[in-house]
Amino acid sequence: MPPRICLYFQVHQPYRLRDLRITEIGKGKTMNYFDHDKNRAVFRKVAEKCYLPANRLMLSLLKQYPDFAIAYSLSGVFLDQCEEYGQDVLESFQLLAKTGKVEFLAETYYHSLSSIQDTEEFCEQTTLHIRRIQDLFGVTPTVFRNTELIYSNELAQTVRLMGFKGILAEGTDHLLQGRSANLPYIPPQFRLPHGKEMLIARHRPFEKRSQNIAVLLKNYRLSDDVAFRFSDKSWVGFPLKAETFTDWLLGGGGHSVNLFMDYETFGEHQWEDTGIFEFLRTLPNIWQERGMKCATPSQVIEQWYEKYRAEVGLCPTGGTPLRERMVHGRKTAGLPSMPIYDAHSVISWADTERDLSAWQGNQIQMSALRAVHDLGPLVKATGNADLIRTWRKLQTSDHFYYMCTKYWNDGDVHKYFSPYDSPYEAYRRYSHALCDLKERLKQFSPRSHKAVRHKL
Amino acid sequence: MSLHALMFGWEYPPRHLGGLGVACQGLVRGLVNRDVKVTLVLPFAADGSEDQIDTLCPQEHHIRNIRVASLLLPYDSPELYLQRIGSIPRETAQIYGEDLGHAVHVFTETSIDVTKHLQPDIVHAHDWMTYEAGVRSARHHGKPLVTHIHATELDRTHFHPNEWIYGRERWAFEQADHVIAVSHYTKNILVQHYGISPDKISVVHNGSNDVLHTRPAQQQESASHGKKHPMVLFLGRLAIQKGPLHFLEMASMVHRHNPDVQFVVAGDGHMLPSLVQQTIKLGLQDCIVFAGKVSHTEARKLFAQASCFVMPSLSEPFGLVALEAIANGAPVILSKQSGASEVIGHAFKVDFWDTEKMADCVLTILREAPLASQLTAEAPRVLQRLTWENQADKIVSIYENLLHT
Repeated sequence: MPPRICLYFQVHQPYRLRDLRITEIGKGKTMNYFDHDKNRAVFRKVAEKCYLPANRLMLSLLKQYPDFAIAYSLSGVFLDQCEEYGQDVLESFQLLAKTGKVEFLAETYYHSLSSIQDTEEFCEQTTLHIRRIQDLFGVTPTVFRNTELIYSNELAQTVRLMGFKGILAEGTDHLLQGRSANLPYIPPQFRLPHGKEMLIARHRPFEKRSQNIAVLLKNYRLSDDVAFRFSDKSWVGFPLKAETFTDWLLGGGGHSVNLFMDYETFGEHQWEDTGIFEFLRTLPNIWQERGMKCATPSQVIEQWYEKYRAEVGLCPTGGTPLRERMVHGRKTAGLPSMPIYDAHSVISWADTERDLSAWQGNQIQMSALRAVHDLGPLVKATGNADLIRTWRKLQTSDHFYYMCTKYWNDGDVHKYFSPYDSPYEAYRRYSHALCDLKERLKQFSPRSHKAVRHKL
Repeated sequence: MSLHALMFGWEYPPRHLGGLGVACQGLVRGLVNRDVKVTLVLPFAADGSEDQIDTLCPQEHHIRNIRVASLLLPYDSPELYLQRIGSIPRETAQIYGEDLGHAVHVFTETSIDVTKHLQPDIVHAHDWMTYEAGVRSARHHGKPLVTHIHATELDRTHFHPNEWIYGRERWAFEQADHVIAVSHYTKNILVQHYGISPDKISVVHNGSNDVLHTRPAQQQESASHGKKHPMVLFLGRLAIQKGPLHFLEMASMVHRHNPDVQFVVAGDGHMLPSLVQQTIKLGLQDCIVFAGKVSHTEARKLFAQASCFVMPSLSEPFGLVALEAIANGAPVILSKQSGASEVIGHAFKVDFWDTEKMADCVLTILREAPLASQLTAEAPRVLQRLTWENQADKIVSIYENLLHT
């Protein structure tokens, strides 16, 4: 059987900050930190170029081809922006959901870096996101994907304890060490510190922890062929035809080819005139002709377990955790064991480094991240929903990404997409917003007033 | 055989008032290091300048300074000229025009005469005062002409040019086989306001004479933070082009928000009296120091002490002072209307007229220690790339292109 095609698209829009001034700090009546005109303009532009046409195409493909299926991760802030700027976009996603062939993944509501900063906040934001997806689409996510595919062994265990059965990650060469990205992996088994396990148990979105968690790895070469290289005339693969690409998909074999990319690939990063929509339109037909099927992340995992159970010959409904079965399995000669993806340090899908340096690579990023997370207990103590929501909007990873100076020396300033003039402008606006937030905290009860003053 | 460039310059350190002399020296040294033989013609007999040059840079015995008697003072003449025509009626200004014209004429005639016997491969002229000499010399020798533009009349006068000077500039750009602009900003002015084809203009940013002077750790710490009185610095000629009035406006806004901030205005120029007046009018007399013209060593000290350096120029073809500031560890805020802002990445950049935003950037740097520290640490990296040798390489390849086409 040819490998399944697992398509997942990331859909996200941050709340960009307006040109805040120091003279406004502590003076405004509301926490008006965001550039609504800009955010609306960007949202509408991307909606017209990508979300709406791409969703129309996806809907027709889902209806036409029984074996076509896709997955999305829609960030909570994106869904918030849908309510503000694009009810039409939200409705088009709801139409897709109604086909029953679309899986929605879970992520942190605010597309934040909380996974590496604050476990409690991480659990809470994930819970918020799950509830929102349930409300809007009537389904419950079972697979998690973290902001910018940030991933580590510890995160995988955290997410397992939260109750997820799968997690997505970048298939980096140094961790795969020659192995295929087209197979599901499991993280190394270990216990988290007791305190952290308890914390997760108190704040997890699901009632029960999951016994097992599978890791699906992005096939970055094939994903990036579409996402980054599709219209690159200097690339040897240019122009990429759907037939050729399908050959490549089949070439690697394995259980599933995981094509993970930003949804904006369609129409925004690769403009319509590059032929990206035509490319996408052609694929399912070719796949059908060649007997290839799509599977969403949870289906990929389910089918892998089924295959595994069939091979090991164990009852799929048995109560023993798969991990233990596997140990049994190893004892039986000739049976496959689940390969381990060992991400001791943190990886992501960003840049060539595929690490955290895009968000915490310099002093201003570190300072901003620390400052926003330090406010957590005080913000939550106010119980003020508006304040908490605004604080969380300031956790969106894009704010820190805009402060990145990794390639700022080479004059290669366009490598980083940013709505601001410079990383320093990003920091100037951000630090003003945080200062104003601190001022607001002081206005809560006299007792907390003192506490805040002391703490700040 | 090495290339021989015949260069017409206007000033040369230590006798210099603006960036022209510094840039000219850097360029000549860079070219000499790249095995270009340079003959530099200067209009003045600068006392002791040669000794100074020799001690500074031994390779410079390659340079033959040929001096021509001239009535003109070095670089400050356009500005003094501007000051004079600014204060007298239009008709009378013509007299100064004729006066200056005559002086340039004398320089042109004599400098052509003393270089007649040379056999250069290329002729290279710096700024409008030397352009006629350059054009005529290139014709005489039958060699390509490069006009190098360090500052246009439009920069100096905030786009209210003396037509005669503007006309001579434009004429020379048209005559030149190639034009070198010190920034894209300047190239753009030549295209937009002088009608010169962009294909004919190459941008070669100025280099830096400064290596990175690391601040002593203690000083670095006290410079921006934890100190009782943070200091914000202006350093430049007190002329309209440099934007000292905008600096005062910014200072007044900063002062309103944080009365502890001190301001130092270093440099001299004809605007000093009006700036002092304005300072009093704004009620800033207790927090602004007018330091007058400062030596290189004093300037370095000021940069090192400053919590941030602001360059609010109205139109700055390059702005070497910004490179000096970052070399000495000052976080910088630069006018977007400058060439330096094209090469310095780790800085705030604002429109010169947006003094409110300028003030906001100053206050942000003062408030945010990690920001100041990062700007200080990261900005000077550009100096490693922006050496005069690297910039001379670009000029050599421009020469070679001209000679082989």
